[in-house]
Amino acid sequence: MKRKLTGSLAAIAGLLLVSSTLVAHHGTSVTYQVDKTITLNGVVTEWDFSYPHPQLYFDVKGDDGKPAHWGSEFGPTPMMMKNMHVGWSRESIKAGDQVTITCNPHKQAGANVCLCKELVINGKKLPLGGGGQNKE
Amino acid sequence: MRRVLVGSLVALAGAVVFSSVMLAQTAEPSAAAKSGSSAPFDPHDISGVWYRTSPIQTFSAVPNVQPGLPRTIEGGRGRGANLVEAPFTPAGKAAYDKNKPGYGPRASPPAFGNDPMGTCDPLGIPRQLNAEVGSSHQTWEIQMTKDRIFQFFQWHHDWREVWTDGRSLPKTDDLEPKWDGYSVGHWDGNTFVVDSVGFDDRTWLDKFGYAHTEQMKLQERYRRLDHDTLELTMTLTDPEYYTKPWVSDTKIFKLNFSPVKEFPTGEPKIKNWDEQVYCAPSEEYRFNQRVRDGAGGKSTQ
Repeated sequence: MKRKLTGSLAAIAGLLLVSSTLVAHHGTSVTYQVDKTITLNGVVTEWDFSYPHPQLYFDVKGDDGKPAHWGSEFGPTPMMMKNMHVGWSRESIKAGDQVTITCNPHKQAGANVCLCKELVINGKKLPLGGGGQNKE
Repeated sequence: MRRVLVGSLVALAGAVVFSSVMLAQTAEPSAAAKSGSSAPFDPHDISGVWYRTSPIQTFSAVPNVQPGLPRTIEGGRGRGANLVEAPFTPAGKAAYDKNKPGYGPRASPPAFGNDPMGTCDPLGIPRQLNAEVGSSHQTWEIQMTKDRIFQFFQWHHDWREVWTDGRSLPKTDDLEPKWDGYSVGHWDGNTFVVDSVGFDDRTWLDKFGYAHTEQMKLQERYRRLDHDTLELTMTLTDPEYYTKPWVSDTKIFKLNFSPVKEFPTGEPKIKNWDEQVYCAPSEEYRFNQRVRDGAGGKSTQ
């Protein structure tokens, strides 16, 4: 039991080490409010699985009924590739999918961009690999 | 009496040699014993994929380096331990101030920065030796050939060569500046010493934006401590920017190491440093224009 617990703690520590390094990548922490989250519901307009970070673009219906265009970036692309066995692929998301996203908002008011922390596509929570996102 | 004593000593020496030979023949190392830090190794073989486990991602352990970064499994020097600022000249400090990084105590949103990484410029040497990017790219690989040693870097998919054929290091003024410089290497006992000149001054020493001139001279010293551990220290000499030679922290690298033993799906982790992580300018530009510049408050109009 003790060995198993020690092994589990070591694995968690390893993940934390990876996560803290990745969150600091490319000036992430000075661009987004990493201590605050917002949750948005919308419709995917584009899924761009490219470097240096995959990006999801989606429309959120505003109070006036008009769509507000939003974008969200994810952890570094290499952490989300097939060989990392995240549990999904670049084909997992497509335009027209329903999205519920929890993310760190930008520091600049008026910029509809955020850093994804949790992602639900068509009612299914998607694992996001490393970088501090959900790890299912 | 003397003949008896000498004879006894010879017999004793022979017995010791015979015993050693017998032990060697009967103690064939198992497959497990051929790996791991206690396994036998050739100190003149530094080939392999080396993962940085020491904590410092900058050239050296400067103030405010990696706040909050936990100590690694190696212990390392973490935050607060003997952190010393670079020995700047006024020109060196001015060059440092002009560089706007996305990391560290002077970090600003990439939209307002000028880190060469943000425009897919080569990171160069010594920055790539810091292995600053995390996870699978916290590595570089060494391959040794008859007359050169090659170092491969997955982040930006770069490589550099170190000539080991005995040639002399050229004079800086006889070279065109190169992103990775020009390097020659030799063995000093069990330490592999690399001397380099001819650097392009557009590269940064590290992610915090320390600068250098084209006149920089760099020495790297590699030492394999055991089968699984490689140590690297660097010394740069650049009198226009630094008042004295600036010595890096001692960087520790582990062979074929990963801090994560399993993927989230439960599968065992394998080497994953072959994704060909090129920085494509078109992708970087699109990302900056559509995401980072907007998120950083910069107008995309």
